[in-house]
Amino acid sequence: MALPGLSLPGLSAFSGPAQSTSTPAGTGGDSAFAGPSSITRTESLEPRTEWRFEVSFAGSYTIRLLSGTAEIFGSELAPNLLYSFSGVKAAVFTWQGCRLEIEGEAESEYVGSETEYAIEWLNVHGILEGMREDAEAAPQQGGSGGPRVLVVGPEGVGKSSLVRSLTAWGVKMGRTPTVVNLDSREGLLTPPASLVAATAGSQMEVEGNGYGIAPVSGPTVSAIKTPLVYHFPYESPTEKPEIFKGIVTRMATAVTSKLEEDAEAKASGLVIDTPGAALNDPRSNYDLITHIISEFSITVILTIGSERLYSDLTRRFGSNPSSPSDAVIVLRIAKPGGAVERDVSFLKSSRQQETRQYFFGSARETLNPHSQVIGFNDLTIYRARSSAFASEEDEGDNDKGAADDDDDDYEPTAGNDNSGLLFDKVTPSAAMMGGLVAVKFCASSSDLETIRDSAVMAFLYVADVDEARKRLRFLAPHPQRLGDRALVWGAWPEPTAGLVG
Amino acid sequence: MSARSPRGSFSGVSSAEVAADFADSLKDLQGNNRYEISNLTIIAKENTEHAQDISQALINHIKTTPPPRKLPAFYVLDSIVKNVGTPYTVYLSRNLYDTFMQAYTLVDGNVRRQMDAMLKTWKEPVPGSMDPRPVFLPEVVKPIETALMRARTAALKHGQPPIRNTPTPPNLNGQYSTPPAHFQQLYAQSQQVPTHFQTTPVQQQQQPPYPIPPYQHNEVDVVKANVASLVKRTQSEWASNLGDKSVRDRLQALLDLQKVLDLQQLDPVSMQAVKAQVDALSAQAPRHSTPIAVAPPVASTPQWQPPLLAHQPYATPQQTLPFQRPPSAVQPPQPAPVFAPGQLESLQALFTNGQKPSTPQMRNAAPSLQSATHGQLNAMQNGVASAAQPNTNDLISSLFKSGFQLPSVAPTPSQQPPPSLPVNMAQPPAAALPDFNNSVLASLMRTMPNITSVAPGASKTVRWRQPTASSLKTFNPSLVYALYDNQPNQCSNCGRRFPGTEAGREKKQRHLDWHFRTNQRLADPAITRGNHRQPFVDEHEWVALKDFDASTATADATAKQAQPVKNRPEEQFVRAPPGKIVNKCSICQEDMKASHPNDDWVFMNAARWNGKIVHATCLAEMTGGSAPTPVVRGNPGGGGSLAAALGVANEARRDRSATPDSLLGKRKAEAAMMGQGSRMRVE
Repeated sequence: MALPGLSLPGLSAFSGPAQSTSTPAGTGGDSAFAGPSSITRTESLEPRTEWRFEVSFAGSYTIRLLSGTAEIFGSELAPNLLYSFSGVKAAVFTWQGCRLEIEGEAESEYVGSETEYAIEWLNVHGILEGMREDAEAAPQQGGSGGPRVLVVGPEGVGKSSLVRSLTAWGVKMGRTPTVVNLDSREGLLTPPASLVAATAGSQMEVEGNGYGIAPVSGPTVSAIKTPLVYHFPYESPTEKPEIFKGIVTRMATAVTSKLEEDAEAKASGLVIDTPGAALNDPRSNYDLITHIISEFSITVILTIGSERLYSDLTRRFGSNPSSPSDAVIVLRIAKPGGAVERDVSFLKSSRQQETRQYFFGSARETLNPHSQVIGFNDLTIYRARSSAFASEEDEGDNDKGAADDDDDDYEPTAGNDNSGLLFDKVTPSAAMMGGLVAVKFCASSSDLETIRDSAVMAFLYVADVDEARKRLRFLAPHPQRLGDRALVWGAWPEPTAGLVG
Repeated sequence: MSARSPRGSFSGVSSAEVAADFADSLKDLQGNNRYEISNLTIIAKENTEHAQDISQALINHIKTTPPPRKLPAFYVLDSIVKNVGTPYTVYLSRNLYDTFMQAYTLVDGNVRRQMDAMLKTWKEPVPGSMDPRPVFLPEVVKPIETALMRARTAALKHGQPPIRNTPTPPNLNGQYSTPPAHFQQLYAQSQQVPTHFQTTPVQQQQQPPYPIPPYQHNEVDVVKANVASLVKRTQSEWASNLGDKSVRDRLQALLDLQKVLDLQQLDPVSMQAVKAQVDALSAQAPRHSTPIAVAPPVASTPQWQPPLLAHQPYATPQQTLPFQRPPSAVQPPQPAPVFAPGQLESLQALFTNGQKPSTPQMRNAAPSLQSATHGQLNAMQNGVASAAQPNTNDLISSLFKSGFQLPSVAPTPSQQPPPSLPVNMAQPPAAALPDFNNSVLASLMRTMPNITSVAPGASKTVRWRQPTASSLKTFNPSLVYALYDNQPNQCSNCGRRFPGTEAGREKKQRHLDWHFRTNQRLADPAITRGNHRQPFVDEHEWVALKDFDASTATADATAKQAQPVKNRPEEQFVRAPPGKIVNKCSICQEDMKASHPNDDWVFMNAARWNGKIVHATCLAEMTGGSAPTPVVRGNPGGGGSLAAALGVANEARRDRSATPDSLLGKRKAEAAMMGQGSRMRVE
């Protein structure tokens, strides 16, 4: 990764965005099924059926709506417009029937007619709309606002798709729902390793992950949404439940304040996406779910694909003897027939694409990151403690070791997380190369809790670490100076190679 | 998705061929056609490698084309240097003096004024650009200005006071009949050549504009007959004196007028003006060569006269710009005597297209602005172009602001839709369904045989408090209806739907305008080059941020959204005046740079003080009005307010308890949040 003479990464390096990369970096066996070759073909869909397709990161796949109406996770396709996809597993659904023109190679593509899930999802949307109308009709002060929805379920059952659909339908009805992503493995308008809240004030997109793009300096094709970003550099909340809870509390504070400021957003409510397995562990007594529900004052819980979860949560939150009106509505929602588990390599590619797009933009909006070289002495970098670093840990072995032993098991909630051990101040090392560093909205001298709770101003990509000359080269998303900020580097996400050079 | 035109459509072709193609296209450019001009600009943009030859072709064209076509050709030049810039600026500035001056001597006064206005914009930075440098370097523009100034002074010495407000016709000394050739007399002539019908407004002014005499249809025929005979007379006059440019111009104008009269109905006021003019001309024409006869025209709009009073109804703009009018007979022309139908639109289109409307373009789009001063147009440009969503009403209101008075027929300024959602969208679809919708639903249901129990108004039934598993599985067509059929008005660019109501249509119009502007900006490499992410916002900013749809917001709504942010001085902003992106704070003497967070050039952390733009924080410090706030100056892109907010946030955070309050009872949690929220917001 030694990259001499790379002074203008923004201009030189952006020759190949994810779409045009010729090396299918770990896209998971996409060559085996070289689906129908790139002949243009037409598909007619009956009402309430869907066209399911999976496209690798190397592939390109275009869909054009010839007639009728169609939507992808709630975002409607415009007629006769070419939509292109890569690195996507999705479905074009039609309520009224449609004809599609399709071109490109997919790993799989077929018409799905078991679409009962869509009816349930739409009915959920109907329920939420009803609650939003109630909230609008209710007097502003003291009104509890619109529905606050939490979506939970195991991996690969369509949670994110449901969240996206509900958001898109809500926006289409003129609402401005706030979306919260608590899954650090996927970004939402951001690179991974972030927990994000964003109010969807404008249209949802058909392409990409549907949320458009976070603010950039120039005009964009995609609608802009402004996220509030927190850093959670761990793959799963169970790795550091206390940090996770702290950030959730912090985020809930901000989100609640925002909804109080904005009556429209308040009436539109909240939809929260969660990571799969981590939250649904009955053995932890649903500790994290409980925390989220109380912090965000959840009023509707949607469970997908797990009867046990539904049953447990209904028992726990479904009825409130003291005040029945406060009871949380718990619903069991069907898992889509087309929902597929995304394998490890797909998710990894997806993360790398998110990281790449954060710096370089997409094919539609190209962005120019800025290269910065900073001496070690001018930086304060904290490393988020993690079991991933345990092997190189040379101090604090004792208490850390105890945590490592438990690592395969569920987290023994308290004990190893006395706050002094959240972060270590580190000297940059070659191990950081390819990693993401979060720039926090706090001074470098802040105490560790402040650093943990502060929102993220930007992510930096560590392009090169020159240990001999004590210099670090970053890729920064914008040219503004960082100022005196705390920088936090975590082991998650995994390093992204070849972002520059 | 953005359909960018392929680069180098002429690639592989020699420069000479490209230039020849370009010259051919130029030859087709008959008038001030925005589309043709922007098309030529795009060609130039895509062939920057052939810039030298294209520039040469353009200059040759300007030199050789007949005078009436010189101005459009100059607009091509103007558009290229403003929208493409280098290398064209370099090549074109080489011969600019000769090109400009040569043309200036040949064109009439009307065109000269427009060339003057254009020249003025060349001294300024490209509007809406980050680049503070002027369009052309001062050493290029200065000689031209000096020459023009000298010419004017010379004209002054000839006893032609340029500034004249008296209605008295000047003594002409027979100069009128001399062909306009001498450079020294250039200015004087520009006043006298009664080309086109620019004289009409004055005549109109002389008679009381109101009450308008009843307008009868047979009058049209009378006027038409008069025009026809005038045309004949002028033709014969021209035949006897082919070299007389003024006669030829007059003939041209008459032919245009004839065309206009044949093609469309005029509103009473214009009709009246036309009639008066034609009558006057009919009376004069035979005695054309005697100077006295042309006295009234000479009084018309001398170059340095302050703008004529705005209430003069516009008169016969069609003669000057017959091609600019979209042939839309859709709108009945009788209201709005100031703007003919279509003019308003063309003016508006000028503003919405995202390109920088140059002064001459504006003047051309609305001939009634011909007499407006540069300052007025600037004010208007400012008022309208800076609005997030210019629409007719904005335009009119900004016209008002800039000193124009419209005769009380401005198209319904009160019909501004509420900035929030249209009411019918918020209503349950069932409530809004008339019979027609039932039939739609019925047909919908027919396509889904297994649903029988769902009544058309079923959306209410979805509102279960305790929905059951079975009710969740029942298909509910009204929900689909609300998402699709109830919003039949679909944007073809992005698939977004709008209700079929009047409000929905307006919203869609704004939305389409937004697409147009965005695409224009996206196609401009000067804007898109060097795009980068903005920093994420911190909690304060995010909480205060009102997420609204920029694509449908009205200027009003946008302003309202921005209102709550203005509480703290460092978050105040001032719209940048057109062309001005660098400003010196007159309190701290530091430079301020404009940024464009929302399609709009603004100075962040800025306020107006004594008519000047200063740092809001400086002003707050000076007036001592507010509590001490961290002062961060002039950081472009809102970084300043960000950093300031950060300082506050840190302060607030430090006195927080170290561990997050993990409170279980949710009501309690909410109360705690509120407390904290307010703590976060103080200072």
